[in-house]
Amino acid sequence: MKQEWVYVLAGNAFAISDAQGDMEPDPQVPVGLFSFDTRFLSRWVLTVDGERLKALSRDDMSHFDTRFFLVPGTASHYVDADVSVIRHRSLDDSFTERLTVLNHSAQPAELVVRMEIGNDFADISEISQPRRRDIAIDVDRARRELRLCYRRERFGRDVVVSSTAPAEIDRNGMTFRIRVEPNGQWETRLYVTMVGLGEHGHDMRADLTTYQQHVRVRMRDELRDWLDRAPRLVAEDDFLTTLYRDSLGDLAALRYEPLSSTVPVPVGGLPWAMTLVGRDAMISCLQTLPFTPELAPPTLRLLALLQGGRLDDEHDEEPGKILAALRYGEAAAFGEQPGALYYGAADTTPLFVILLDEYERWSGDAELVRQLRHPARMALDWIDEYGDLTGDGYLRYLCRDPRNGTVNQCWKDSPGAIVHRDGREAGLPRATCELQGYAYDAKRRGARLAREFWDDPAYADQLEHQAAQLRQRFNRDFWLPQRGHYALALEPDGTPVETLTSNIGHLLWSGIVDDDRAAAVADHLVGPELFSGWGVRTLAAGQRPYNPLGSHVGAVWPSDNSLIVAGLRRYGREEQAARIAAGVLDVARTIGGSVPEVIAGYPRQLTTFPVQLPAAGRPQAWSSAALLMMLATLLGLEPCGENLLVDPALPPGSGRMELLDIPGRWGLADAYGRDRGPRERSSRRRLH
Amino acid sequence: MWGGTTTASVTEYLRGLGSGRRPDLPGTTNGTLRLDVREVGSTEHWYLTVVDQHVEVTRSDDDADLVVRADRRVLDRIAAGRIHPATALMRNELTVRGDFRLFMLLRRIFPGPPDARHPREAARGEDAHR
Repeated sequence: MKQEWVYVLAGNAFAISDAQGDMEPDPQVPVGLFSFDTRFLSRWVLTVDGERLKALSRDDMSHFDTRFFLVPGTASHYVDADVSVIRHRSLDDSFTERLTVLNHSAQPAELVVRMEIGNDFADISEISQPRRRDIAIDVDRARRELRLCYRRERFGRDVVVSSTAPAEIDRNGMTFRIRVEPNGQWETRLYVTMVGLGEHGHDMRADLTTYQQHVRVRMRDELRDWLDRAPRLVAEDDFLTTLYRDSLGDLAALRYEPLSSTVPVPVGGLPWAMTLVGRDAMISCLQTLPFTPELAPPTLRLLALLQGGRLDDEHDEEPGKILAALRYGEAAAFGEQPGALYYGAADTTPLFVILLDEYERWSGDAELVRQLRHPARMALDWIDEYGDLTGDGYLRYLCRDPRNGTVNQCWKDSPGAIVHRDGREAGLPRATCELQGYAYDAKRRGARLAREFWDDPAYADQLEHQAAQLRQRFNRDFWLPQRGHYALALEPDGTPVETLTSNIGHLLWSGIVDDDRAAAVADHLVGPELFSGWGVRTLAAGQRPYNPLGSHVGAVWPSDNSLIVAGLRRYGREEQAARIAAGVLDVARTIGGSVPEVIAGYPRQLTTFPVQLPAAGRPQAWSSAALLMMLATLLGLEPCGENLLVDPALPPGSGRMELLDIPGRWGLADAYGRDRGPRERSSRRRLH
Repeated sequence: MWGGTTTASVTEYLRGLGSGRRPDLPGTTNGTLRLDVREVGSTEHWYLTVVDQHVEVTRSDDDADLVVRADRRVLDRIAAGRIHPATALMRNELTVRGDFRLFMLLRRIFPGPPDARHPREAARGEDAHR
């Protein structure tokens, strides 16, 4: 049977355990307690009288706390209900587990409760095979503390476990010999403090009681406020309302405050990307502008602060480039994976300009656009100065650190993602098609910002001219007349990579597609090769590299699909947009819980159930946000001057839908929609 | 380390830092930074005032918005572009106190690796491989 994993998360810290609450290393899953890309507990196993416990039920109270209700005895034993254990786990700056042992019998119970404690200090990037580390263990009986320390030169990580109840502490854990009166209970709190040496002196014990509780109360309030601030969805389809609220909750959870920001920004997602990932963060912001616009300003500010300033091969850094990812672990510090600040992405820089402009269109926040003029100009300059690698006017990428860097510096970043129809790797440097769409969009939006906010009409003209040229060139060089779609990429000599992929949907989103070609592109997106019934595959079936289980060569990503659906609506392809959106909503409906990052590309009629990939993360910011973006797209929300335009085109069968209190430059506005089918859809538009 | 390389000490680097406009620095991030260069038995203090894309360098141990401390050996390597300031921080070879945002500015005041390539140059190299 498939192992069930249970997580709590807060900021960029998380803890993954089995259904009993126990943690033991697993080569596939980062089980344990993690913070700043480092494992702080790899072994955390509870026994009573030497026996493991069995879970009766669980209460996932919020994303940061969970209660396990347990009884001694494994699944094969008869449940002994005389004793039960409640394991209440919560996470904020530190990890707390409150153990309560209850005696339900009329006799006193003498029990030996033990927590096995250990850690390997593994970096998140080496979970499959953690290196051997020398770990110093210090037992401090007076302070009821077990401390595990790891040092490498001046780099150091400590984890300190302490107990409120008296304990016998040894190098491998804590033992509690307890007597529980009839109908009585015993309790201890285990505090686990994670110390990153040199980080502003985590004073562990002082932090423990008052402050931690204060943080938890604050977290609860913040979560409630976050949900209250977002628009309210009223839908005939109850499932949508639940899904909407869950997605908002995921987005609240998937935020953290990096060292250089006092306001939270989105992380990529659990478990592999609990850090700032430039692309994921900006796409998540774009997806959620009608719902939680507050995510965008801190993300833009932070990315501006971290903008590339110099040439550096090891970090794939150039002046003006926007960050790919921040990493905090040992592997990044010692050059065993891309550095702490890694810039290996060709799409993040245009996306920065796109997000800045789109945020202003919704919010009317002209001040931010003025403040970020310099970084936005540097980003626009980067496209031509550092992004055009062969001088043919296309945005390309080439990794300058082949040892640790990312070969494919676009959203499809797995090694074999950019290939010809026969499976050959495309030549480097690669110009993938969606990068050209983003560059085109960034230039057009940059022109608007220059004209309206930066008082620079000459620059605006220049950008518009460049954009028009790029569009013309692109439609000449990337279009494959025999196939009726755009190429995935161009090789350095201009040879097209003819593979049919979901990237063509991004082109619609960017608006670079010539109008007379939109119909052909839309037909491909809903054709049997690309559309699985659940969504658009990353790579179309019927081509050699296609693999339904390959992340970027056949599987289906809700985030990818949300941009495609928006693109289809941009070109007036309501029917195709609604079909794809309905498929993705069905994925969420069928699987339940958080929207998965990616599902297999099998045809829907073959599996009838969406098949999840083992490596897929969940929850993921841009997957949860994809659900929101699809709702906004189906309702046809669009800023138009100072007003919100509403132009619904809902999938048949979705009934009535209302989104109330949508924030923006208009104050708050409401949107109403009902499924009429695209042909019946009235031309009535509601202006606020 | 002698010979044709561009290795410079942090002291030389800061002394040589002109007070001209630095168009690569954002005009909206201003503040003061102090660099404490630690040596055996003494510490050298450098004070950087960043205003409107200009960096003014003086010698002072006044309090600053951000205080950065490291051994001379480490800061020399940073000044020569041999180690990224963020890497030094992560390895705990360098510590900071104060407004962390200014650390990201400091990163831009120091040079990148001397052997770094422009991406076009790297692309030409790739072409030669083929």
